[in-house]
Parts: sequence; C-alpha cells; structure tokens
Amino acid sequence: MVCMARAVAEEAVRRALSKRAEYGPDIDLSRYRMGRPRVEEGVPGGALLEEARRRVGLDPRGISYFQVGETAFYRAMEASLRRFGVVVKPLRIALEEDERARRIAWSLVPPDKDKYTAAAYLYGGELGYYVYVPPGVKVEQPIYTCLSLFTGGEVQFTHNIVYVDEGAEAHVTTGCMVPHGVKGGLHVGISEFYVARGARLGYTMLHSWAPGIHVRPRTAVRVEEGGEYYSYYAVYSPVESIQSYPVAWLAAGAHAKFTSVVSAEEGGVYDLGGGAVLEGEGATAEIVSRVMARDGASVTARGRIESRVGGTRGHIECLGLLLDSVSRVESVPVISSTAPGAELTHEAAIGSLSEENIAYLEAKGFTEDEARALLLRGFLSVEEPGLPEIVRREVERIVDYIVRNAVG
Amino acid sequence: MLRVEDLHARVAGQEVLRGVDLEVPAGEVHLLLGPNAAGKTTLLSAIMGLPHVEVTRGRVLLGGRDVTHMEPWERARLGLALAFQLPPEFRGVKLGTLLEKVAEKHGSSDMLGEVVDMLRLDGLLEREAFRGFSGGERKRAELAVTLLQRPRAALLDEPDSGVDLESVSLVASAVERLSAGGAAVLVVTHTDFLAGRLGGTAHLLLGGRIAARGPARDLLERIRARGFGGLYGEGGG
Repeated sequence: MVCMARAVAEEAVRRALSKRAEYGPDIDLSRYRMGRPRVEEGVPGGALLEEARRRVGLDPRGISYFQVGETAFYRAMEASLRRFGVVVKPLRIALEEDERARRIAWSLVPPDKDKYTAAAYLYGGELGYYVYVPPGVKVEQPIYTCLSLFTGGEVQFTHNIVYVDEGAEAHVTTGCMVPHGVKGGLHVGISEFYVARGARLGYTMLHSWAPGIHVRPRTAVRVEEGGEYYSYYAVYSPVESIQSYPVAWLAAGAHAKFTSVVSAEEGGVYDLGGGAVLEGEGATAEIVSRVMARDGASVTARGRIESRVGGTRGHIECLGLLLDSVSRVESVPVISSTAPGAELTHEAAIGSLSEENIAYLEAKGFTEDEARALLLRGFLSVEEPGLPEIVRREVERIVDYIVRNAVG
Repeated sequence: MLRVEDLHARVAGQEVLRGVDLEVPAGEVHLLLGPNAAGKTTLLSAIMGLPHVEVTRGRVLLGGRDVTHMEPWERARLGLALAFQLPPEFRGVKLGTLLEKVAEKHGSSDMLGEVVDMLRLDGLLEREAFRGFSGGERKRAELAVTLLQRPRAALLDEPDSGVDLESVSLVASAVERLSAGGAAVLVVTHTDFLAGRLGGTAHLLLGGRIAARGPARDLLERIRARGFGGLYGEGGG
C-alpha cells in the first residue's frame, strides 16, 4: 500500500518535470549534464577552499559541509559543535539515521512544485546538508556550509534541512559560488528549515556566481510558536538568471525577517524576494530588499505577506536603485489579509542616487565618486541586529565590494 | 581671510548678484542681512561654487587664494564650509556615519564626541541624516558637520530659522566656537536674537549688491526704522 502511494506520488513528480516555475525565465533541464551524486569524508582540494575564502569569505577551516558539483564532502564536526549535540551531516546520511530529517524532508517544499524541485527529488540523490540543534542549545559560532559548481554545463542539486529544536539558537551561513572560469551551469537548491517553539534560526546566504549560471533556490520555513527566523540574502555577482522566493509560515507569536541585498549587473535576470504567511495570533513579518541594477540587468523584487488571523503585523520595504538607463527594476509588494485586526503595510520606491545629496556631500569635501560610494553604502546597509559579529563583518566586506565595483 | 570681489552671478539665466564686494577677516563673525529673495543664499552658494549658480564675473579669495573656478569639494578641502539652510534628507546614511565620514575627511575625528555633546545630537546619531528631523535638530546637525570641517571660512545660511530658543542658543555657541578657532564666519540671519548675541559687522544685500554695511546693531536699528528699502543706495560705507 505504501509502495503504491509512493509510486503514485512519484508519478506526480515526474509529471512536474515539465512544469514551469511561477516566476523567472524557464530553463531547459535537458541542456545540463547530471552527475552521479556521491558523499565523501574529508575536504575538497585546496584550490577550491581558497576560492571559497576569496569569493564568499568563508574560512576553509570552519566549513562543516562542502558540496562541489554532485560530490558532498563533510568533515568531522568541530568538537565545540559536537559537544552540544549539534549535528551537521550530509542529508543522504541523515535520512538513513534520523527520524526528524525524514519527517521534514519534502514536507515544506513539495517535490512537484515545479520542474526544478521535481528534478532535485528524482535525480538529486539527496545531497545537501542536514543541521540539527538540540533543545535549548545556543550555538554561538555560525555553522558554515559551501555549495560550489565544479564544471561548466552541469547541474548541481542540493537539498538542505535545518532543524532548530525548542528554545535553541543557531546561525547558518551558506556560500554559493562557482570557481573562477566556470561559465555555465545550473544550481538547484532545496532548503527546508524548521524552527521549533521558542527557537531562533538566522540564515545568511552569500551568492557569488558568474555569467552563464542559472540559479533556482526553493526555500520554505516553518516557525512554531514564539520562534524567530531571520535571513540575510546577498547576491553580488553577475549571473545569467536567479529566481528565488522563500516562504515562511509563522505560528502564534513567531517572527520572520527576510533581508535581500542585490547587486544586479551584466544583463542578468534577478527575480528575488520572499513571502510570509501569518497563521497564528501575534505573528509578525518583515520583508526588506535593497536592489541595485546596472549594465543591462533586470530585477524583480517581490514581497508578499498574507495574514490569516487578527493581531498579526507585517511590513514590506522594497527599495530599488537604478544606476543606468539600460537596466530595469520592478518592485512587487503584495499584502493580503482575510483577518480583521491584522496590520499590514508596504513601502516601495525606485530611484537614482540623489543629485541633491551628491551636491551636498561635494560641498563638504567629498569628490563625486566618494559621494556616490557613501550614498550607495548607505542604501545597501540594512540593519540586521541578529547577525553574529563575524558574519556582520563579512556582510560589510560584501557591501564594500559592491560599492567599489559600482563606483570604481 | 574671506574676500569677495565684484561678484556677478546668475541662477537659471537670471542675474541675481550684480557686483558684490565683501570681506570677512579671520576670527570675525559678520552678518549678511537682506529681505527675502535678495540673493543671500545665492551669494553663499556662489562663494561655495555650487553648480546651480553661474559666476559670470568677479573673484572669491580664501586666505588670498583665488578659488573662483575650483570645484566645491576642492574649496571645502581648502577650508571653506557652507552650512545649508535646508540640508537634504539622506536615505540609509545615519547622521552618526555622516559625521564620522566628514570628520575623517577633515582630520577632526578627535572632536567628534565633543561636537556631538555640545550640539546635543546623541539621540540622533542612529537616525538617517536629516530625515524627519525637527527644525532645531536639522540646524544643530548641520552645524556639527560644519564644525567638523574645521573651516577657515564658514558660510552659515539661516542657522537660526525655524528653531526654538534653546537651539538658537546652541547655534550661537557653535558660531562663537567657529570664530574662536580663527574662522571667518558669514551668517545669514533674520532674527534679532542671533544678531544681538553675535554682534560684529553686518552687510546688507539689496538689489544684488551690498547696499550698506556697519556695526550689526546699528544696521539692524536702521533697518527697523526705515525698512530695507530705506537703506537702498547707501552704498557700502
């Protein structure tokens, strides 16, 4: 009977292999080579580790999980994590060993959502990481993971699950990248995060891709009563296309904040944002995006907050900055409520750097480039009190990098 | 220290300044008086070299150096400062960041805490610069920027307009601090309070020229007695 049910489900997923995603350019999956998923202990070669340091600022010694193409490397967890019972392991292994992993897997992101989730489900081999933080444990150091394409023309599937148990706290930082010189490829990342009652999960994702690369993350988060989820999502490189729309479901008193900082360039298509569904009384959500477009890039910044009960609050802030006349920014904030007593607001604005601000700063002794850099840095800097200090420094480095590239 | 010679300037093709002569020695505070639309802000903008004002004749000298054709940022780095009447609101740039950057630029980081205390800006540092500030907060913040520039000559455009009495007193203290540091200070004001406290020399701008000058208290009395129009044609005596 169970086998029959799975066969029916798999059939539905197979049908979804031709199902276009709701947003973003459609990609012909048959153009990409699929590798043979495998898991290895240890670490990849030194050159890749150095790339991880250079491109996404991750200290190679601290990376708990590193996936290169369709090969997952995992190192023995650092003693400090193991001591508290924190688990970081390849999902494939976790699905054999851990009931929680099996319970969450594909429960938040349905495998037949679109062709990318379907392909990941059928061919991905469940590579990706699994992180479990036991009840009440507060992990002070960020848990680092890194996902890298390896060669041109391949597809990388990764399926990640993070489970933060009751009252626990953790911060996961994932760097996504391609090594220098890799020009084409597809990254499909499925992420399912479960934040139990009163727990807190911070998630930083740093994307450093390259022209010719398509990226299709699919992320869903469930936050139980009084839990908190905040994400900081930075895209700061050229990319052929990236489309991501993470959604968080929030129980009573839970809070979520999505922050996206996007530097769009070189004709890439960037369709990013996030959504929150306020299911429990007192749930709150914020969706903040800062989008900068230049050199023919096209950006769609989405935000959607839906309230299903009273006593909830949500706010969307989408700010776009257009640095030339051949690029495009579109902002799509949506607030929706079926519950009297919910307070939902949004603010969206698209503009250029203020000439008045530039003239003011020039009168204070700044050259035009210095003035532009100061304004850009201000635009891109979003307050995120939850970021660990070490991650905050990395985020500041990224903002500096974006500003330097944009202003020269 | 600050000298303006026969300055002519246009704004949007319209001649506003028609031969202004003015000198403010180092360490002195001079007032620039005049009715609305007399060209006071245009004069300060022309001295600072702001792009919307086209200087067609004359010179601006800072410490004897001709800065007439320099960019505003070059003038600022040579020690010329303009406190805007209405500084623009900034998005994303906190007041604290702005003050830090200005202090770094002008080598005055050691003064930062003292200036913030003096102008009571502590509660504003984490807010976006000038965004939603009250009149007094805006003026005090702009004066802090000006102080941190450590100017040799400071042009203050109505630093006391739209502010409460307590803020005016702080503004006056800041002006006195500038002059005590050796700066030549030219202040546009409409209020007796600031004029009365600062004293010094006043210049009356009428019809695009300096129509009268003299001790501030005398000139203010004459303006009160005869109105601005009654002083037209007195010349710069």
